[in-house]
This record gives sequence, C-alpha cells and structure tokens, in this order.
Amino acid sequence: MASVVAQVERRLAELRVHHAEGTRTSVMTHVAWAPPQWAAAARRTLAGLDELHPSRTILLFPDARKADRIGVDVELRCFTIPGSSREVCSEVIELRLGGDRTRVPGSIVEPLLITDLPTFCRWRGLPPWGKPELEQLVDVCDRLVVDSSEWRGLPGAYTQLAALFDRIAVSDIAWGRSLGWRGRLASLWPDVKSVKTLSVTGPRADALLLAGWLRSRLTRPVKLSHRSAPELERVAVDGEPVPAPRGPALDASDLLSAELDVFGRDPIYEAAVSAAR
Amino acid sequence: MSSREDGNPLVEGLRLRRSPDSCALVVFGATGDLTRRKIFPALYALALRRLLPERFGVVGVARTEQTTKQWIADMKKAVREYARDDFDAQVWNELAEGMRYVATDFAEDEGQDRVVDALRDLDEQRGCSGNRLYYLAVPPNAFETIVNELGERRSTDGWIRLIVEKPFGHDRDSAHRLNEILQQHFTEQEIFRIDHYLGKETVQNMLALRFANGIFEPIWNRQFIDHIQITVGESIGIEGRAAFYEEAGVIRDVFQNHLLQLVALTAMEPPIDFTADSVRNEKVKVLRSLHTPGPKSVVRGQYGLGFIEGEEVPGYREEPGVASDSTTETYIAAKLYVDNWRWADTPFYVRAGKRLPRRETTIAIQFQRAPHPPFAEIAGEGLRPNVLLIHVQPDEGVSLAIGAKVPGAGMNIRTVHMDFLYGGAFRTSLPEAYERLILDAMLGDATLFTRSDEVDEQWGLVDAIVAAWKRDRPNFPNYPAGSWGPAGADELIRRDGRSWRRH
Repeated sequence: MASVVAQVERRLAELRVHHAEGTRTSVMTHVAWAPPQWAAAARRTLAGLDELHPSRTILLFPDARKADRIGVDVELRCFTIPGSSREVCSEVIELRLGGDRTRVPGSIVEPLLITDLPTFCRWRGLPPWGKPELEQLVDVCDRLVVDSSEWRGLPGAYTQLAALFDRIAVSDIAWGRSLGWRGRLASLWPDVKSVKTLSVTGPRADALLLAGWLRSRLTRPVKLSHRSAPELERVAVDGEPVPAPRGPALDASDLLSAELDVFGRDPIYEAAVSAAR
Repeated sequence: MSSREDGNPLVEGLRLRRSPDSCALVVFGATGDLTRRKIFPALYALALRRLLPERFGVVGVARTEQTTKQWIADMKKAVREYARDDFDAQVWNELAEGMRYVATDFAEDEGQDRVVDALRDLDEQRGCSGNRLYYLAVPPNAFETIVNELGERRSTDGWIRLIVEKPFGHDRDSAHRLNEILQQHFTEQEIFRIDHYLGKETVQNMLALRFANGIFEPIWNRQFIDHIQITVGESIGIEGRAAFYEEAGVIRDVFQNHLLQLVALTAMEPPIDFTADSVRNEKVKVLRSLHTPGPKSVVRGQYGLGFIEGEEVPGYREEPGVASDSTTETYIAAKLYVDNWRWADTPFYVRAGKRLPRRETTIAIQFQRAPHPPFAEIAGEGLRPNVLLIHVQPDEGVSLAIGAKVPGAGMNIRTVHMDFLYGGAFRTSLPEAYERLILDAMLGDATLFTRSDEVDEQWGLVDAIVAAWKRDRPNFPNYPAGSWGPAGADELIRRDGRSWRRH
C-alpha cells in the first residue's frame, strides 16, 4: 500500500497529464482544518476562493470517531484566465483523517507543502488550545487564519489566542470584517479621541475587537455596549451613529481572500485582542 | 477632516486604500471617442470598486448641443459597451447623479461661465470642495484656448490638476510651446501628461521585476545581455483617424511616446524610491543618453494591401482620407544605443507598426549564449540563447526561455518556456491603464505621467530622425498588411548577425 503522500503525488501527476494545456500556478499552500460541523462551510468558501488565489489547497477533515485511517481525494480545479484561452489549474488535496490520525496532521501536511511559498492555515471553529493537532499545524504554517465570531467563550478565548502570537502570525476574519468601520471611526478623529462608550450591533467578536482596538489605540478605557446580530449593522460612539462604510459587506470567500493577501504579524490586531479581554 | 491627519493613532495599520480628496472632474471633449471608450469605462470601474471620492462629480464639456440627460444616456451606453465589468445600475445611477453637461465652443466666454456655474453647482450639491481635475481629451488645436481660459479663471479654492492627452506637440518646438502655455498658468506638479502605456500593469511590473528581484539586476547590463528587442505591433489599421495619422505617422503616434518610455523603463537605473521625481529623474537620464541613430539604423515602412486573419485589407494609401501618394510611415524599426556605463554597445532594436500580423507589445531581453556548452553535437540546433520575455499585451506576463534536456537517450537540448501569467497567478482582471492614471491624478501622484523634460528629450530624438527622412522620398508601400514589416527591417538586424524574435 503506497503512502498517503505517494498516493497524492501519483494522482497529481496523472491529473497533470490530462490537463497538460493548463498552467500550474500557485502563490501559496492553503491548509484548511474543518471538523465535521464545518466541512460544508469550508467547501463552500473554497469554491469561491481558489479562483482568486491559485494555490495548493490541503483540506483536512478530521473525525476522531471514525476508523484510524486517512482517506484521500485529489483534484485539479482549472479556470480560464480572463482574456485568454489558457487555463490555470489549482490542486485540491482532500484528506479525511480518522481516529488517531486526527492528532498528527503536521506529519501528513508537511511533505505536501509547496517549497518556498507561504503556508496559510484556516482553522474552522474554536481551536483546541494546546492540543497536538493545533500545535503541529502552528509549527508548519506561516499564518493562522481564524474567525473568532465562530467561537464560544469570548472574550476568554482571546487569552489563548494571544499566547500564539509569538509563534505564528494570526489573522482574524472578524477583524477583517470590521475594517470599513474602523476606517469610519478613524475619520472621526480628533472628535473620537474622547469617546467613552462604543455601541455595536453585530457579532460579539466583532464588537469586542472594535472596542479593544479603540482602547489600545487611544490608550484609555472605552465601555462597550453590545447588541447581538449576525452582521455588523450599526456602530455608535457616545450615542452618535457612525456612518456605515460604503459598499456591500464582503462574503466569506472575499474575507478569507483578503486575509490571504496579508503576510507578517499585525501588531494593531494583537493589541486589540489583548485589550478586548 | 482628513483621516490621514498626523497624530491620528486610529489610522495606523488600517489596510485601507488611499482615497482621493473630494473633487470634480471636468472632461473637455466629452463626446469624443476617448471619453466614450476609455474615460467613462474607467470612471465606472473606479466607481464600482469604490475608489472614487465619496463626494465627486463630472462636468462634460463639448461642442455638441445636447442636454445633460442625453449626455448621461450616451455615456451609459458607452459604459455598457466598453467597460470591463458587468453593468450595475445602482453604481451607474450614483455616478450619473453627479454628472453635468455643458455644450460650448471652448473659446466662448459665456460657455466657460457655464462650466464654472456647473462646478459651483457640484460644489454645493455634491461637496466637491473646489478641487478640480481637468481632462483635456481634445485635439491639439483646442489646447491653447482651453488652457488659457482655465488659467485665467483658476480659483484659489482647492487644488487644480490638468491631465493632458497625447500627442503632446508635433515636434520639439511645438512641445516647448505647449509647455510654455501650460507653465504660464500651472506648475509642473499640476500637469499630468498621459502616456497610457505607463498605466499598464505589465509596464509597471517591469519595475517590480527588475527592482524587487535580486536575481535580475546583477545581470541587467552589457556584460550579460546581448541585445534587447521591443515590439509594439498592431494588427489594426488607422481606424478612421486619417487626418491625425497623416500628420503623425507611427513615429509620433507610438515611437515618440510608448516605445521610448518602454526603452527608458528597461534601461533606467534603480530609483532611490518610487516617488514621481525619483522615477522620472532616472528615466530622463536614459532618454538623454540615447544616441541619435544614423540613417542606416532607422527603417520606415508603409503597409500595402494584404491579409489580416484571413481578411483582405486595403493598403494605407487606400484608406479613406489618406492621400494616394502619402509618404506617411506606418512602420518604424530602429537600432538605438544608450550611451552609458551599463549599456554601452548593447543594441536596443525597437519596432512599431500598423497592420502587423497580430497585436503584440513585448520586451525581449536576449542574454548572451552560454560561453562553452559541452553538448557540441546539438549546439546551434535546438539550443537558443536565454530570453526573458515581458508580455505587455496580450497574455500579460513574463516568460523565460531556457534550454532543457529532451527526455531519453543522448543529450538533446530544446528551448522551453517558464511562464508567469498575470491572470494565472493573480486571479483578478487587470485594471485598464486609464483607471490607474485617472485615480493617480486625483491622488496627485505623477509617477506614471511624463514630465516636461522627458517629453523634450523624446522629441529631440524624433526630430533628428524626421530631419534625416526629409532628405529622400520613400518607396511606399514597402510591406504587405499582415507581414512583420519591410525587408529593410530584417536587414537592419541581420547586419549585426541577429534576427527579430520568432513569433
């Protein structure tokens, strides 16, 4: 029985023969960790993403309740290049990890990474802080992309996240989603300097991060008043509504796509997380 | 208040695009082809991506008598026809709300008063803050009148900028004259001379390729490069522009601006930073270093009847509006030398023409052959020198031709291409050059616009070539439409033991 890596490589070689005209282009390796409850969402996001970021995508679907084995599927996703008859193909490697294999993803992923290109890991749901699967992927990836609005236990979970900052660059989709609102708040300078209360209608994570950002940038306390909503709908400072950002809100693929364009640590985000707790 | 104000801790780390100040764009020549095909599709693309200022308006100025409503309908049609994006009615309606049209002869005081009124109306209704971006999309003969009117009526409220379309003059003297007119009323920082080639992503990528990669610059010189070929080919003819083309020819239409800019970007020294003056200082040094080519180093041509993509097309002299004995050139090939330490004795073979087999703009850097390939039996057959090929258009990207072993017994070497395709690596459609340039002008960034001294140097070279042409009458037509130019162009490069790149 061939190893998983050998199976993947053989299958990729076969697919490349069938798509000989397609250009193989990658700008990164994109690893996605998606437990069963997140599998469908991960596939949906990927469908809107790999046309934007040609990459080798390694989809990891862990399920410790299943048999101790690794299931493999490999496909090439080819897209016509705008304004050209040529195609560009991205590689999608789907690995279904069962039983104890869910605890050793690092050794499976590492030989499949594309050398010299950055590796992003999108972690779906709340990461299992301190567990081997998270620890291993943190060690092999350059950037961890989370969406803290998927988490329960906020703001406490930000403490565990902050513990990773010195080991891996972190992006948070909840933070990306608030960019337009942060721009609006920044445009209120210097009136916003003396703000006492920030009111946010939207996901709790987005509200906590906005408040943490204001506190850390202004180096003074800002009280948060939060009303829950699925989207960031309204922001007000000391009761005065802040004009909404222009344009429609980005969808999940676009938000992840924006995070995949960022390299290196984001000290402003890290400070916002620390002040959100 | 400005979000970029110093001391605002909230702007730090915001990954927001720099947003232009509120302003009004005034397009002179608002019913012309350029406005319909390029300017409005670009404005629409910027509006769609929320890159225009929040407070923005457009005043269209042209001689055609029509209402604002009619003009908006015409521009809407143009956007539907020429924009790179699908039409979004909401985006268009937002843009159209800030559009006004003024029908006037540019010389009429009363008409200019109405332009001022329209702008005042936009300031009041849209909050354009008195900032003005004037776009002169007009024939050269209307230029002086408009510039003088604008200069005399310039307000002290807000900033003022002028985008000036090519052709910028007809020769060095006329370019000087235009610069004098402009500089009577406006500073160089307020003047944005467009060469739309500089707005192309792939042209800017030349700078990224050279100066963001450690591997190229050490070999980007006479020691490692055998020669450089730059091709600006068009398969189309003059497309009804006979009046312009008869006066301009390819030397003024393409060589003086696009082609020499590509030479400058290829040959320039690394700028200390990417500011307008740093980049343009380096480009102008190259233009000043260009050796005036002798008559044998320049070949001109004019197309005759031929075939393009299987269709018979007329010769240049048979085009409507062209004199039957016209000596206007539609093709130029030249061997240029950049007389400096880096490029001494390294030829730049450049060519541009109409009715060539295909539309293609490329910069080919041909490196010297390997000094001693140990594969004697195949040398000269499959193995060609390495070529770094920059595809400006179409198929935007970069490819490197390298020798690779053909699988199997023996040591057969064949040239293969390693390709980087823009559309492959970055899955977004490339912005049109005019989008970038209009946005940069709104932001006051002149890096991708040509400065007066660059234009001056470009015309100096062109004047020298044209002066030599006046001494003899060419035997035109001398290449059939659908070919790669006259035999003389092949001879020009063959004399040096080289050949034009294979297509």
